[in-house]
Amino acid sequence: MKSTCCHRHEVALNRREALARSGSGLGALALGFLLGRDGALAAGINPLAPKRPHFAPRAKRVISLFMQGGPSQMDTFDPKSELQKLDGKPLPDSFKSEDLKLQFMSAAGGTLMGSPFAFQRRGQSGLEISDLFPNLARFADDLAVIRSCYHESFIHGPALSLMHSGNLLLGHPSAGSWVVSGLGCESDNLPAFMVMTDGVIRGSSSAYSSGFLPAVYQGTLIRTEGAAIQNLSPPPQITPTDQRTLIDQIGKWNQSHLAARADDTNLAARIANYELAFRMQAAAPDLIDLGQEPQAVREMYGVDKEPTARFGRMCLLARRMVERGVRFVELYSNDWDGHGDCPGNHRGNADKTDKPIAGLLADLKQRGLLDSTLILWVGEFGRTPVMQGNKGRDHNPYGFTAWLAGGGVQGGRAIGATDEIGFRAVDDRVHVHDLHATMLSLLGLDHEKLTYLFEGRQRRLTDVGGQNNLAERLVRA
Amino acid sequence: MIARRVIAGLVLAVCPTVAPAPLWAGEPTAAIEHFETQIRPLLAAKCWKCHGQDKQKASLRLDSSASMATGGDSGPAVVPGDPEHSPMILAIRYADETKMPPEGKLSDGEIAALTHWVKGGALWPAYPEHKEPGEAAAASLPEPPPAGQRDSLWALRPVRDPTPPATQSSGQPKTVIDRFVLAKIEELGLSCAPPADKRTLIRRAYYDLVGLPPSVDEVDQFVNDSSSDAFAKLVDKLLASPHYGERWGRHWLDVARYADSGGYETDIYFRNAWRYRDYVVKSFNDDKPYDRFVQEQIAADEIWPDDLSLDGSYVMAKAKLEHLEARIGTGLYTLGTQIHESNMDGKKLDYERLTDWADTTGSVFLGLTLGCARCHDHKFDPISQRDYYGLQAVFAGSREIELPLVNGMEIADFKQFYPRIVAVDEARRAYRLFEQKVAGRKLTPEEEQEKQSLRDTIAAAVLALPEAAGSSPGDRFDGLMEIPAASVLGHVDPALVRPVHVLNRGDLDRPKRTVSAEIPAILRTATGNREPLGGPATNRKQLALWLTTSEHPLTARVMVNRIWQGHFGAGLVATPNDFGKMGVAPSHPELLDWLARRFVEQGWSIKQMHRMIMLSDTYQRASAYQDPRNLANDADNRNLWRMNRRRLEAETLWDFVHATAGSINLKMGGRPVVPQLADDEISALREPWQWTVSADPKEHTRRGLYLIVRRNFRFPMFEVFDSPVNSVSSPRRDVTIVAPQALWSLNNRRAFRQAQAFAARLVREAPADLPGRVDRAWAIALARGPSESERSEALALVAALAAGAASAAPLEDPPAELAKLPPELAAALTKLCLAIFNLNEFIFVD
Repeated sequence: MKSTCCHRHEVALNRREALARSGSGLGALALGFLLGRDGALAAGINPLAPKRPHFAPRAKRVISLFMQGGPSQMDTFDPKSELQKLDGKPLPDSFKSEDLKLQFMSAAGGTLMGSPFAFQRRGQSGLEISDLFPNLARFADDLAVIRSCYHESFIHGPALSLMHSGNLLLGHPSAGSWVVSGLGCESDNLPAFMVMTDGVIRGSSSAYSSGFLPAVYQGTLIRTEGAAIQNLSPPPQITPTDQRTLIDQIGKWNQSHLAARADDTNLAARIANYELAFRMQAAAPDLIDLGQEPQAVREMYGVDKEPTARFGRMCLLARRMVERGVRFVELYSNDWDGHGDCPGNHRGNADKTDKPIAGLLADLKQRGLLDSTLILWVGEFGRTPVMQGNKGRDHNPYGFTAWLAGGGVQGGRAIGATDEIGFRAVDDRVHVHDLHATMLSLLGLDHEKLTYLFEGRQRRLTDVGGQNNLAERLVRA
Repeated sequence: MIARRVIAGLVLAVCPTVAPAPLWAGEPTAAIEHFETQIRPLLAAKCWKCHGQDKQKASLRLDSSASMATGGDSGPAVVPGDPEHSPMILAIRYADETKMPPEGKLSDGEIAALTHWVKGGALWPAYPEHKEPGEAAAASLPEPPPAGQRDSLWALRPVRDPTPPATQSSGQPKTVIDRFVLAKIEELGLSCAPPADKRTLIRRAYYDLVGLPPSVDEVDQFVNDSSSDAFAKLVDKLLASPHYGERWGRHWLDVARYADSGGYETDIYFRNAWRYRDYVVKSFNDDKPYDRFVQEQIAADEIWPDDLSLDGSYVMAKAKLEHLEARIGTGLYTLGTQIHESNMDGKKLDYERLTDWADTTGSVFLGLTLGCARCHDHKFDPISQRDYYGLQAVFAGSREIELPLVNGMEIADFKQFYPRIVAVDEARRAYRLFEQKVAGRKLTPEEEQEKQSLRDTIAAAVLALPEAAGSSPGDRFDGLMEIPAASVLGHVDPALVRPVHVLNRGDLDRPKRTVSAEIPAILRTATGNREPLGGPATNRKQLALWLTTSEHPLTARVMVNRIWQGHFGAGLVATPNDFGKMGVAPSHPELLDWLARRFVEQGWSIKQMHRMIMLSDTYQRASAYQDPRNLANDADNRNLWRMNRRRLEAETLWDFVHATAGSINLKMGGRPVVPQLADDEISALREPWQWTVSADPKEHTRRGLYLIVRRNFRFPMFEVFDSPVNSVSSPRRDVTIVAPQALWSLNNRRAFRQAQAFAARLVREAPADLPGRVDRAWAIALARGPSESERSEALALVAALAAGAASAAPLEDPPAELAKLPPELAAALTKLCLAIFNLNEFIFVD
């Protein structure tokens, strides 16, 4: 495989020639481009057919656990003994700087707040995790904690956009869309990119939008109750027999319409879609039927108990999705925005998510799926070591924590560091572009080659960044 | 859209020579791309701070090929082709004494990239070198780039008036357009598709001009009209229809990034946005000359300043009404995305607005994508950062204001009636006091009664609010009782206009020198414009008047291309918002110029352009034509040897379904309509109150154009069918073909209800028998009768479905005509109608 930036277009050209020789037209050509890498065409006309990655992948799929609102690093995975010592003291001058901006407060006048949560060394590795996550702590040896994340926005909207699309502005594809465009989907009866939330997704669909990529790559928001996918069941006036009869007749009429227009694969694709739609109707209800899960499994995720029921269901559904070949699943936990009472807020959110996430890791492990499933835990930013109001912490994009597990990642370690009080990433800094580059690499995708021409430029998820790609360092030998 | 990207991709990758006379002619594209994606950003980020235009440590600059070769105190920085002897490379390796950059070694990858670049000859694409004028010179106009650079960008060359080429084909080409197209087809040895049959043609014309299907009678009339000008008459009739403005207005709204809300987290509601939508529809219906349309949107307030006061009559003078309408045009600039939190930081808010305004102006009117220049001199087009911020500065003296749309008498009425609003508030306050009084305990029967009475008082106060001004009852108040207003552009107090700075990499916190309002230098050269702009009160006016000079190279070309795209699905320039180097070169440059000339000559009449295009043979060709030779040589049909097949857009599909069902409500204009949604459809909405359903069910079948456009919650069916991302100007709709679209047409409750309405319509219009209804169904939905086999299959389908009807739920509130049929037949006919909505022939236009 050649390593020029134009590689994808060369493929398209070759395919174009092939199609032209076979008498196919505009639609086929478009589709050829859409399909991207070699081998896809053979799979038929489904733009979501599995595609070969750029190089051997460690992970085949992603579950993104998005802690919306911004979890505090100092209270979760980034212990700061100096901060504990300085608890209640003013922010030392050495940490003040002109360009430090926060949303609601001025950092300069702030008072430092130590974490009320104790950290302990966990597992064989001794990775430090706070008492907020007693269940997850059992998987310390599986977690690679990145303590040096940073980006440029201290406001939710743009920060969410950055974390998802690598861009502050709306209209850019989310990471999930990029991944699906690069790898396709292994399920032929479910959407490739599914999204779930236990509350409101700030920014709604823009967070999982395909942006300027074809809409086929956008995330599908799944309800955890009721109809999982829109228009998934026919109106009560149409029986299954009726529907089959209708689809057959529609197909027949569409085929005869196609006869004089055989070069138009849009028409053919639309005919094929009726069969996928038909299969989705059957597959999706099965997917969401958690009644099939044995009690012991439901127990692992805390599905039947508060406060874990909702996020537990989401985690369990995520496992059922990846099991069925869904490529990218994103789960939102709400809402970690601890301005008023950060410890109280985090306690509540940890209680809701700790057991389900630990259950997910355990379950994937016992099914042999963890090794090929990359788990990413992160929020849109971290929080400040200085106190806001009485017990709160403000937004902090200058230093925050993410962790990765599964997908070939060697756990039990921490990468990068914030300063002594956890304010700024200072060592081995990992920008959101680096995080995205790392994720793509683990999936076998070169973040510089996964491009799409839009408004005159070859766009990337990682824009012009991604130089600190951690993938090689992260993977298990 | 997908196809467009393919085309663009191919041109970029394999045939750079197709792009007209690139500045870097002869230089390998991959190397340029490597430079622009790897090297330039790296140099900018790591080197230019100390070795750029602001500072030259060790007398060294690293921001041009020449300055690198000249080097600094210790000689040249690079030796092209020889990294091992290039001081810059040695320095970044930290191998010798000089270690650069001093704040930290570059990554291995970055070092390798720079080494690779030097080894490959340190290629630096020869763009026009951008010169920053000194501070002292900033007040005067910088010297525009020489004409040679202008000529390198085809779109900036003067619009020619080419002589239509001769063609060899036996039959005389019908129009001049055909001569241009045919000449190219002949040259390439392609064959032409035959003319489309009349039924195809009328469906195409209706779709193109009004976005609605033709009625059965209209089809019959046209098919039976054998006069030579039958199609010309049809075109004129459609151009005169008020629905023409709705159809073409929607195209424009895509370009204008129209939405009724601001997006981001809170999706703030733009209560006046629809005034701009209606303004656009009316402008198209009036065939408002395009130059005037442009002037109004950019600068109506500056070009036609008017106090809008009355002069002795309730009726505002005609000229004043025109000026009022024109000012609504500037609403274009009030529709951009808006981050709620930015209101906390005025400087940031201003910057976001100016960014949106400059980018929108570039995309919409100039057909140039300028956003790149926000962070660095445009990599591919000769637009510098200074140019970009100069354009932002044009708008720096402007701000969004609310313009009352009623006259002074009606404003006085509102003030007179204001105590009515106070009455509502007092009634609510009384209720709150009662709530406090009884908080936490069970109410006595008397208290229950009091509670009800207090609520009744609130309702009565609300109902007593005047809904219209007393002086002119035709003008309704907005909302409960608000002065109707449009959001438009006005001016900042001149003393408070913030200076606009060139920003280091677009970062608001890293301002560089200030810039004055200016038209981008390369465009001034192209138009021979040498006059500096006058100041905050007239900058927009001058920009608008400059844009609409008859010799402007971009304005007419860009709009003519949009019109062409509206008829063929693809423009002569396949990238309608990018006429720059990264856009696709025109397939028919001479035709584009010829059309642009005629456009200006004919008074910028858009309707005249429709006539010219639609009366050509080129427009009237069949789409179902598969000459293998053509397919092998021009599969994309760039040469227009046949018509392109098009899928109905989201709103058009909505309109076709409801029009076919006979339920469409063709009322025009007004506040956005909010239709009822199913539970599964509304699940993604943040707050239920953001979706307040329109009370009158007749509103729910209005045209798609009138449905509310929330940035954070796209109308679910529209989203499935590729409604545009409206954060920035959208030049062309995506066309995807995905399974959720099939699920909508098969399962959506609305689709089923419309199938029911369609079935009822069939019974009404073809009362005699089932075969008659099948014929009628085909005629209404597909503008043709069914074939023998289609008719018999349809009858068999109805029979089969009727036989199984007992096991299905009965129809819900079937319309009267349908209720008269035996239930199993009514249900089966409805399902046949649903099947028709699912046909490719229904959803595609040949």
